[in-house]
Amino acid sequence: MAEAAIEFCDVSFRYPQQDRDALQGIRLVVERGERLGILGPNGGGKSTLLKLAMGLLTPTSGSVRVLGLSPEQARREGRIASVAQRPTAELAFPLSVRQVVRMPIGARVAPWRRVPEANERRVERAIALVGATAYADRPIGALSGGQLQRVLIARAIACHPEILVLDEPTVGVDVSGQRQFAEMLARLHSELDLTIVIVSHDLRAIAAGCDRVACLNRTLHSHTAPDGLTPQVLAEVFSHDVEAIFGEVHIDAHAASACDDPRHQQRSGADS
Amino acid sequence: MRTIEYLTSADLAGLYWPIVLAGAAVALCCSALSVLVVLRRLAFIGQGVSHAAFGGVGIAALLGLASLGGATHELAMLAIVLCFCIAAALAIARFGDEHQADTAIGIVLAGAMALGVVLIDLAARRALARGEPAPAGVESVLFGSFTSVTETTAWIAWIVALIVVGGLWLGRRQIVFWAFDPGACEAFGLERARLRAVVMVLLALAIVVTMRLAGVILATALLVLPGAIALRLSRRWVTVLALAHAAGLLGVLGGLVLSFEADLQPGPSVVGVLLVLLAAASLAPKIKA
Repeated sequence: MAEAAIEFCDVSFRYPQQDRDALQGIRLVVERGERLGILGPNGGGKSTLLKLAMGLLTPTSGSVRVLGLSPEQARREGRIASVAQRPTAELAFPLSVRQVVRMPIGARVAPWRRVPEANERRVERAIALVGATAYADRPIGALSGGQLQRVLIARAIACHPEILVLDEPTVGVDVSGQRQFAEMLARLHSELDLTIVIVSHDLRAIAAGCDRVACLNRTLHSHTAPDGLTPQVLAEVFSHDVEAIFGEVHIDAHAASACDDPRHQQRSGADS
Repeated sequence: MRTIEYLTSADLAGLYWPIVLAGAAVALCCSALSVLVVLRRLAFIGQGVSHAAFGGVGIAALLGLASLGGATHELAMLAIVLCFCIAAALAIARFGDEHQADTAIGIVLAGAMALGVVLIDLAARRALARGEPAPAGVESVLFGSFTSVTETTAWIAWIVALIVVGGLWLGRRQIVFWAFDPGACEAFGLERARLRAVVMVLLALAIVVTMRLAGVILATALLVLPGAIALRLSRRWVTVLALAHAAGLLGVLGGLVLSFEADLQPGPSVVGVLLVLLAAASLAPKIKA
């Protein structure tokens, strides 16, 4: 059995001044090298779970270990990196894509030293892996939403983390963009031997890019392969209006395999 | 030209060179910060911190520091004002990011100003009762006083400028990361709150030394205009920094020359030159390099 990348042991979390837990009794093991999708409705605690894994929040009870370390330590050592749902980046900064990708690496270098050549090569490789070489010298504020998303992922992988955490990475991305995104993730996964955790309420994003799915709505409902996302499972997770959700994401019982099928994309495009 | 006369005459050079040197120091530290102030929208925080100076000036006046002479007076005044400004900066920083800090800024600004005005008034009445000269009034805090700049002021200005620029250089990679993307810098293991506090303290230092010369109101202008000018001209980080320094230096020195030649108030002259530069920059095409 592979060593655990992230372990949640009976984790509960409650935000201050709230009268109920955002997460309750979460037991979840993310294996090294796997691509885990965490699926659930808005307000189901997905982003909270990621913040606990990043050490940005502390569990009310239970414990979280990341690569055998505390989440804070793993984050400080650069072994886990994340891309947030809503980037807080100020895009008016006169910085190029390359300068943005170099930021976390540069922040670890003493001020009187130049960024080492090996690190510069890591920056270039990260840019190439996400397919951003063509616009590496462009100002960060001149990019489209999809390009910016790629650049932020390049920034995250440039530090060579072992775990990459993505919060709602395909929000606002069209069907063709989602397919390209899934291909890019597959490339990152194979070339960098990354453990990838994706949080999303979008079934298609989860089905296309993950080996396993954990369904979360305050509590963990099930672990399954993407093709185990049956209407019954989804009805339990989303707990209401399942028909509307199906309509929104155009998924059927063969969602996982269908996502890789161009015919499915055509149908989805026609539906939307 | 009066400027040449002021700077070369044996009688006047001792009075005017400290003004020019202190002005250059102020331009250096304000320009270095102004790019961050504009991009991270810290101008209102700068206002709050600069108005905290009123409280410090009021206490210094009540303690009778105005009656002390020379360097002792200068240092004591600056130390008290600096303490007030740093306390205000850190109080504002505790409120988190700038969207949440508005309330803190409003409280600090109103509270410190009210305290300062009351204390300065009390000190003036006490001085009058004793038959002593009145301490510097509210107006001198608002608009500063280049004419009272001494050699000690110039030394202090340069020391503060070197601390500000040195601090920014040492923390440049972390500070720029924080300023560009505060949320992500925390996720990459940097201390977001600490970086914000460092920037606030550097801002307070720059404001204290600037307001001694240009006053509270014009200190904010010097922290905004060089960055705004540079960002209109270029979209390259290094070029923007260089242009901000050039604009700041040109604005301060040009403003001083204008005030010497036309016998105008130095503070408003400096801001006037910077505004002309801003108008020119708005019309100019962006520099590609």
